Amino acid sequence: MNALYRFFKSVKLAVTLILVIALLSLLSTFIPQSQEPAFYLHRYSAPLARLIVALGFHHFFKSLLFLVPCVLFFVNLGVCAIDRLVGRWRRKARPRYGPDLIHIGLLVLVAGALLSTWGRWEKTFYLGKGDPERLPLGYTLKLLDYRYEQYPDGRPKDWVSTVQVERQGKAVISSYPIEVNRPLRLPPLKVYQASFSRQDTAVLRDPQGELAEIHDGQYFEWREAILFFAGIESGKAVFERWEGRSRTAVYDLSPFQPIGEYIIVQLSSRELTGLKAVQDPGFIPVVAALVLVAAGLALTFLQKRGDQQI
Amino acid sequence: MMPHTLSQVLSAAAFLLLLASGAVQAAFLLRRERRLDPFSHYLLAAAAALLLAITVERSIRIRFAAVTNTFESLVFFAGVTALVLFLYRIIAGRRLLPFVIFGGTVISLALLAIASSPIAPKEVLPPIPALQSYWLVLHVTLSFIGESFFIVGFVSALMYLGSREAEKKERLDRLTYTSIGIGYPVFTAGALIFGAIWAQNAWGNYWSWDPKETWALITWLVYTAFLHARLVRRLRGRVSAILAIAGFAFTVFTFFGVNYLLSGLHSYG
Repeated sequence: MNALYRFFKSVKLAVTLILVIALLSLLSTFIPQSQEPAFYLHRYSAPLARLIVALGFHHFFKSLLFLVPCVLFFVNLGVCAIDRLVGRWRRKARPRYGPDLIHIGLLVLVAGALLSTWGRWEKTFYLGKGDPERLPLGYTLKLLDYRYEQYPDGRPKDWVSTVQVERQGKAVISSYPIEVNRPLRLPPLKVYQASFSRQDTAVLRDPQGELAEIHDGQYFEWREAILFFAGIESGKAVFERWEGRSRTAVYDLSPFQPIGEYIIVQLSSRELTGLKAVQDPGFIPVVAALVLVAAGLALTFLQKRGDQQI
Repeated sequence: MMPHTLSQVLSAAAFLLLLASGAVQAAFLLRRERRLDPFSHYLLAAAAALLLAITVERSIRIRFAAVTNTFESLVFFAGVTALVLFLYRIIAGRRLLPFVIFGGTVISLALLAIASSPIAPKEVLPPIPALQSYWLVLHVTLSFIGESFFIVGFVSALMYLGSREAEKKERLDRLTYTSIGIGYPVFTAGALIFGAIWAQNAWGNYWSWDPKETWALITWLVYTAFLHARLVRRLRGRVSAILAIAGFAFTVFTFFGVNYLLSGLHSYG
């Protein structure tokens, strides 16, 4: 037990672990992450690809190769933090709280990161004007307006989604413009402006005169084939004909032309905003940890200055 | 598109001032008695003033802090480096070894040379939505301020490895330690803390293991190892100096290498 304690309180162990984590992380940045095993077989030689997959380098920051040194470092840091506090109390040495704050901050940081890993929830959804979206905890969000602003040279200036929020039928927020870098706070959720999209719709009439809508990305079956609606381009509906796994035809169709047994009646598009709702129980601990680390760094610096070491 | 002649005139003038300062320093370094020249640091201060004037002028025009593309980042970085060298010279005075300032001046010139090269477009453009955040401004400016102290640590560590006199080695070792001692907390605040808060605010994710983030973390770990290596007597001196040099090499790769060799979120600088 004593030997184990001595092993974990060693600064040499800390330096070694820091360098090991640094070196492995460095290697991981040269290997594309989160791909299928086949991707690596295609890209690298077979033995190297097998090694990457076996070691977990293809999802490095979730692999044991990364997590085991991190856990060792966490224990190392914890033992060092306790040892510093106890040792000082025994020796009645002059207090040096800076490094203690940094070490405790880092322990809280790791705890916060683990909370994020296990407790984080997120969902991306696309809304057009007037569309509602149900979120957890009884919140319902409705898009009132969506605006895409550009600079005169065409580069994006801003995406603004104005939303209304209700909770159990009562209005919580009557109007809030969500922008990039300006999320909506619905404790404990936050809603971010994440992306944008367009939804194309074709209204089709069947032989009986009934109307039906089809959106881009949807398809229907017709005579052993699949007719896939790819979207609207230059005012024309683009349909693809698929038989088995091969595309056998592409049709550019205007209103009142036929597709399958239907007649296209109307084409329309609307802009969609992509919003992302996030709930992250780890963020507050992480911010608290960062404040502790920053305070510890500042204190260490001031104390070293006081000692004339800097 | 707004014209950018003023930026180019000012950066060319700053380049000449840095070059003149470096030439004066080199002339004094080549003389037999190693002493600091009396005025080259005022040339550094003038160059810093011109470079920071570029940042101010562009900021007023885009109505946002002008640190949002590679050119602006490099101009700011070179300016802060020149300013830090000037302050070192004023505060440490004659105790400072002339070669440290000279090495720093050469690096500042190199940064400015890259800024004026075609890889850094000079157009004055307001930032895209993801960059419109004051957390980003704190993130970028503090990272560079911390990194300019790492430049001083790098040059003195290099000199440490190259020098033989015990007294000189001790002064260089101390300078490496103190400059990184100042740069480290500033870099931590800028690169890691404000970077994480900005990412959370922009994307709802304070850390996403994007290559630039990973490399910034690795750089931070190397400097952390440097500071801890000093607690172990055996690791002082040579090993410390090598870690300080490695730390700077990682800083440079994080800034340039990641953008050109790896892909990720930080494609703008």
